[in-house]
Amino acid sequence: MNVKESGASLLKIATTQKAFIAIVIMLVGMLFSHSGFYTAYNLLDMLNSTSILLILAFGVTLTIVSGGCDLSIGGTLVVSGIVAVKLLNVMPMWPAMLIAVAIGAAVGFLNGFLAVHQKTEPFIITLGTGLLLVGIAQQLTDAHPIPATNPDFMNIGNGDFYGVPYLVIIMAVCFVASYVLMRFTAFGRNLYAIGGDYEVARYSGINVIRTKWLAFVISGAAAGLAGVLLSSKLNTGSAVYGETTALVVNCGVVVGGTSFAGGIGGIPQSALGLLVFGLLDNAMNMLDITSYFQVLLKGAAIVAIIWLDCFNQKRKREAV
Amino acid sequence: MIKAEMNTGLGAPASKAIGPDAPRRSLQGVVTFLKEYLVLIMIALLVGITAVVEPKFMDAANLINIERQLGPLMMVSLGMTFVIIGGFIDLSVTGTVNLVAVVTISLIQPLGQVSALFVGLGLGIVCGGLNAVLILSSGAVTQAEALFLTFGMSTVYSALALLYSHGSTMHFWDMSASKTLFETIGSGKLGPFSVSFVIFLVCLALLWAFQEKTVEGRFIRLTGGNKTAARLAGVNIARSIVVIYILCGFMTAVGSIVLFSRITTAAPTIGLGFETNAILAVVVGGTTLLGGKGSVLRTVMGVLLVTLMSNCLDLINVSTYLQVAVKGAILVLAIWLDNRKQA
Repeated sequence: MNVKESGASLLKIATTQKAFIAIVIMLVGMLFSHSGFYTAYNLLDMLNSTSILLILAFGVTLTIVSGGCDLSIGGTLVVSGIVAVKLLNVMPMWPAMLIAVAIGAAVGFLNGFLAVHQKTEPFIITLGTGLLLVGIAQQLTDAHPIPATNPDFMNIGNGDFYGVPYLVIIMAVCFVASYVLMRFTAFGRNLYAIGGDYEVARYSGINVIRTKWLAFVISGAAAGLAGVLLSSKLNTGSAVYGETTALVVNCGVVVGGTSFAGGIGGIPQSALGLLVFGLLDNAMNMLDITSYFQVLLKGAAIVAIIWLDCFNQKRKREAV
Repeated sequence: MIKAEMNTGLGAPASKAIGPDAPRRSLQGVVTFLKEYLVLIMIALLVGITAVVEPKFMDAANLINIERQLGPLMMVSLGMTFVIIGGFIDLSVTGTVNLVAVVTISLIQPLGQVSALFVGLGLGIVCGGLNAVLILSSGAVTQAEALFLTFGMSTVYSALALLYSHGSTMHFWDMSASKTLFETIGSGKLGPFSVSFVIFLVCLALLWAFQEKTVEGRFIRLTGGNKTAARLAGVNIARSIVVIYILCGFMTAVGSIVLFSRITTAAPTIGLGFETNAILAVVVGGTTLLGGKGSVLRTVMGVLLVTLMSNCLDLINVSTYLQVAVKGAILVLAIWLDNRKQA
């Protein structure tokens, strides 16, 4: 939807995408399913429920393009959401939401310190911080969902503006902001340079540590925002969404064509990649596939996608 | 790199030992030792404090309990050690534990216990082999690629376990067939030790011999140290990858069987958290995630302390949820320190 707005250049990216092909195949396949898939309500609902994942993905794309990765977003998501719900009881809505987003940014700052400044392996270290945060989230809620009490807060995640849900609007704003950041600013270009070759970027005079660190902070802040929106949508703070969200989002970004090797990809690609997962979820529900089988299909999809990404990397290495 | 790194002594570096004044030298030795084993020392302190604060910790009943709890995590971590020494990682152990547990327990009735045991162990090898095939065929060389591939496989194995068992938990007491073999593994005694502990000792001895005394064990270290150098030196990297993943799958299956035998039930979610606990134990023990260095003996120490820590936190009434957070914090700390040490 947003892809169309941004003109023909984006359409060109889209047509050379395997994620785009996957989406087309699914859309065509659903034509024959005789389900309620092709209704405006369902499609908007699909976009609405994918919005939160998309916001997460925009942040993660920054870290992956710069050659890192952020697996702690699942933990950040739930901790920020729970903190927002808890703070609603003691302060007005906006400061509570701001603090929750700031917590996300702080987590990103910590990840950046460990993964960029201290040069630990980002995949493992963010898996560790993610585990830490999920533990904190469970402790904060005693592993039970806690209800939010403010109707205004609930309205953000469930209200709409002339039929378009607020979540979709917020997602679109994030999309445009991160797209501009990646495409038209020195910071964005530096991220690509760092992901392409860290040492070359360093010798070119880019402040590699600060730039990459900032990517982690933005990723954390995006996860914080997504957490607030998730809590608002469900009107509860809960720790259960922290388990696999991070890996699904990271895989979705890779589906879009942003490779773990760094230096290639972008925001529109990630949006397409995540839409594959959103569409897959929605289609499987529409086809009444049992939940265990859904898990199996999703796992198989993840393996197939990562396998293809690794295989492309290998071919590229051998071509050199 | 090939030389065995044992946790025998103070890790005083030989190059620094030429200094003129002995006190400074020994101070450096102490600092190096602290750096090397900081996480271990912290956990040991925690255990020590708990033993004083909570006398129940030293009760015979509690110690026997710990001895029996060790088994499953120990087996999985021993297998994981080789994967990490080889420079890869395996997140699929959770799925493998789930799948092996539900399949094995369901086969006791139709096939008999001995066949069920062998099918379970074989299934572990198949799961590990499948991981290796995926990694080899896609040409994955980095830890990150292996991490995502095995995570995906973990989801697949767990989903298969759920589909196979229809999400239900199976119990020993529902079965009329003889299951003495599993009951022995789970709660039998051999002299002063439990059978699961003896199984662990046997596995440890075999794996240590494999690591130290066989060419294949050395090849795994070389692969983990530097893949290109290893290949140029004539090491068959593909074979090393197959060996480490099959070994990990097999040991995970052993761990799964010991686990469900002890608790006499198998749920399709029985393996939850095993991957992070095993990685935690391996890293805390001192095997570096960079690959090439490490030992099963270090892992034994890591598992011992992680299990003792869980037990201590239980005794001083720290909630399960906070324990997850503590483990996450220790994992982050251990990786960070390990990275500083290697740099």
